[in-house]
Amino acid sequence: MRDNMEAKYDFERKFRDQVLQCSRCGFCQSVCPVFGATLRPAYNARGKMLLLKEVMDGTLDLNDELIETLFQCTTCGACAENCPSGVEVPEIIKQARKDMVHIGSCHPAFTGMNKVLKEHDNIYAEDEPEDFERERNGKAEYVFFIGCVGSYREDERTTATLDLLDYLEVDYTLIDEVCCSGVLEDVGHPINEKHVRTNIDLIMATGAKTVITGCPYCSRTFNNKKQYAELKEKGVKCIHLSQFLKDIDIGFKTDKKVTYHDPCDLGRHCGIYEEPRDTIRKIAPNFVEMRHHHEKALCCGAGGGVRGAYAANSIAMARRRLEEAEEAGAEVLLTECNSCVHNLANAKLRKQKLKIYTTTEFINLLREED
Amino acid sequence: MEDRLKKALIEIVGEKNYNDSLIDMVSYSYDASEYTHRPSCGVWPQTVEHVSEILKLANKEEMPVIPRGGATGLTGMAIPLKGGIVLDLNHMNRIKKISIEDRLVVVEPGVVYDDLARAIAPYGFFFPPDPASSQVCTLGGNVATNAGGVRGAKYGTTRDYVLGLQVVLPDGRIMKTGSQCIKSVSGYDLTKLFVGSEGTLGVVTEITLKINPMTTASTTALGTFDDVEDAGRAVSQVMHSGILPAVLEILGKEAIMAINQNTDLNLPEVDAILLSETDGYTQEETDYQMSKVLEVFKANNAKEIKQAQSKDEAAGLWAARKSAYAVLARLKTHQVLEDVTVPMSRLAEALKGIQEISKKHNIMIATYGHAGDGNLHPQFVYDGYDQDQVKAKRAASDDLFRMAIELGGTLTGEHGIGMQKARYMCWEHDDVAMDVMRSIKRMVDPKNILNPGKMALDEG
Repeated sequence: MRDNMEAKYDFERKFRDQVLQCSRCGFCQSVCPVFGATLRPAYNARGKMLLLKEVMDGTLDLNDELIETLFQCTTCGACAENCPSGVEVPEIIKQARKDMVHIGSCHPAFTGMNKVLKEHDNIYAEDEPEDFERERNGKAEYVFFIGCVGSYREDERTTATLDLLDYLEVDYTLIDEVCCSGVLEDVGHPINEKHVRTNIDLIMATGAKTVITGCPYCSRTFNNKKQYAELKEKGVKCIHLSQFLKDIDIGFKTDKKVTYHDPCDLGRHCGIYEEPRDTIRKIAPNFVEMRHHHEKALCCGAGGGVRGAYAANSIAMARRRLEEAEEAGAEVLLTECNSCVHNLANAKLRKQKLKIYTTTEFINLLREED
Repeated sequence: MEDRLKKALIEIVGEKNYNDSLIDMVSYSYDASEYTHRPSCGVWPQTVEHVSEILKLANKEEMPVIPRGGATGLTGMAIPLKGGIVLDLNHMNRIKKISIEDRLVVVEPGVVYDDLARAIAPYGFFFPPDPASSQVCTLGGNVATNAGGVRGAKYGTTRDYVLGLQVVLPDGRIMKTGSQCIKSVSGYDLTKLFVGSEGTLGVVTEITLKINPMTTASTTALGTFDDVEDAGRAVSQVMHSGILPAVLEILGKEAIMAINQNTDLNLPEVDAILLSETDGYTQEETDYQMSKVLEVFKANNAKEIKQAQSKDEAAGLWAARKSAYAVLARLKTHQVLEDVTVPMSRLAEALKGIQEISKKHNIMIATYGHAGDGNLHPQFVYDGYDQDQVKAKRAASDDLFRMAIELGGTLTGEHGIGMQKARYMCWEHDDVAMDVMRSIKRMVDPKNILNPGKMALDEG
């Protein structure tokens, strides 16, 4: 067994104590969405920490055989939230992925994602963004930053959101945005500095003091990644749409039974739980929580690159979440993340009567029905 | 794994239920204990017939088979010490029957404790033995270890609730034990033989459990003590005062400090805290019981008495207690949790003795546990990469078990023997008892394929 030898990898240099702190109690198993969908302990946080411990002990080396578990994590953070030993699993996983990429072991989907973002300005390698028939790069009080999923996969929901913003007479402009590229760091690659520059320059040119993002992940990237620190330094604040909406009197109501899915990027990773609920309670007095909510919310299975790399398990995770919504008797499932809504809607079975929307899309629907 | 054996196993369970990839073999080489050894493969049986066919094959080929549930065991009983096939029972996780009329449930072994609790709660029923790992541990594992929990003194352990089992024997034969009746004295009690047998005699594929009606009121309170011996005496006196609290837990100083570091509970950092819950059907009744408990605390020099004012406050205290093991794990690289149990009248001596052992060997032993049934959890917290500390830990363990047995106690109240305590088995059990246990093992499993290397059954 290796003892006090010089660390071979960065994850070990940064997180050795954390990895050893795992008491193997297995509590993560009860909340890990990948374990929940597969019942395979190798995919659970404990399984991952044990592999990394063996790498540190010298009984195992990082190699391609570890890709399947180290890259199959939605980085939802439920394990860390539930860990009595205080192990920050997602951070360790992200660092281990960087080490894997460094030695040339990476899931092909993520190698592809990095390549796509070198050659294109969005994760889907699409050439033509949806037009949305709105002003771009104008002068306005707010920039509305859509994000890749909202631009290229969920454009109808985005149109509904923009219709609502128009109705509320929000002074916003769209920009010729490019992928925030934060996700690259989650899958072992460096953030794309060129895209960062483009976004910052476009935002600054509008004169806006606030960026509203439709995507919780973009909001997280703008607020937390050092490459985007310039925005804050120049007095530009970045908030998620749910934070913007919470103080606005919407004025529409439904008596349908509505539940809310906490996106991991908004909830566990940013601590934003109540703003979306405040808005939803205003429009839907018949609000119910699912069995797992707030800090304990179950991941939809889309995050951390898992939807692209492990589609079947990603859908299985979303199905478990939908079962909870049905168990709560909800007729409508709302969420604040295009990625979550995309995965949940894809996972919905025809027999499931539940409707799935983003909160703004649903409010706009109520407005149109009004 | 030889190709022909791999093929034969795949023929039984199907390709998607067979696995020998590196990542799975590493995860199957651990449980919550300090031990590790890799198996040759893992299989995920879906039915009792799968289990039976796997065991027939393994028996013929003399391949070890290690049944596995949530792998939260602390003694290494799920470690494939001699390699072989890990029989991962998580996929057999159906609740087959809830019969409130008969006060029982029938479950497969992979059902997680909390999932059963959630399923029967709407009927106003619960399954009392609740290990701290209730959110992860499986009922099959609870049966294999005869798991306990915080309510042991009043409600007993898993064994007291198992009415019957379906067990696959090492030769593949399927056996039914017990009945669906609350009482039965028909023949030898084979059910109880298998409860706590740690996967060494058979693979449990179906469990019939008695369930209890839930109480509807409770009172939670704590008392602080400057001297752990006072706390020990208080516990003994409570337990013969005529009141039977549902829970009576002890937290020693190290555990209190670790909990404080990781929560905002601000528990008083005294030598010991006793945490108690009384339960019943009216608040008046549970408050009355608690007043009697607190009288005993006071008579034994309790410094401060505090009653939880709300359900949330009480829930916070119990969550903190359940987290003790893992929060202590933050302190050093290695930890081993023991569960020595002593007669109630000797509790104060045991608590004092543990402090002395800790001092003598200069090793941290944080103590907490289910004081109400004499079951203590001394947790060794040390650096396992430091050979001096490893030696000190081993010597301290020897002293701990010697003391427990001298006090008329037992090596283990609820975790089982596994690998961790195998070498102490003959300290507690005389030659005759060891011979009978080994004879039973040889009779049921002559080729020693089921979970070999555990409970000192292979020796002698």
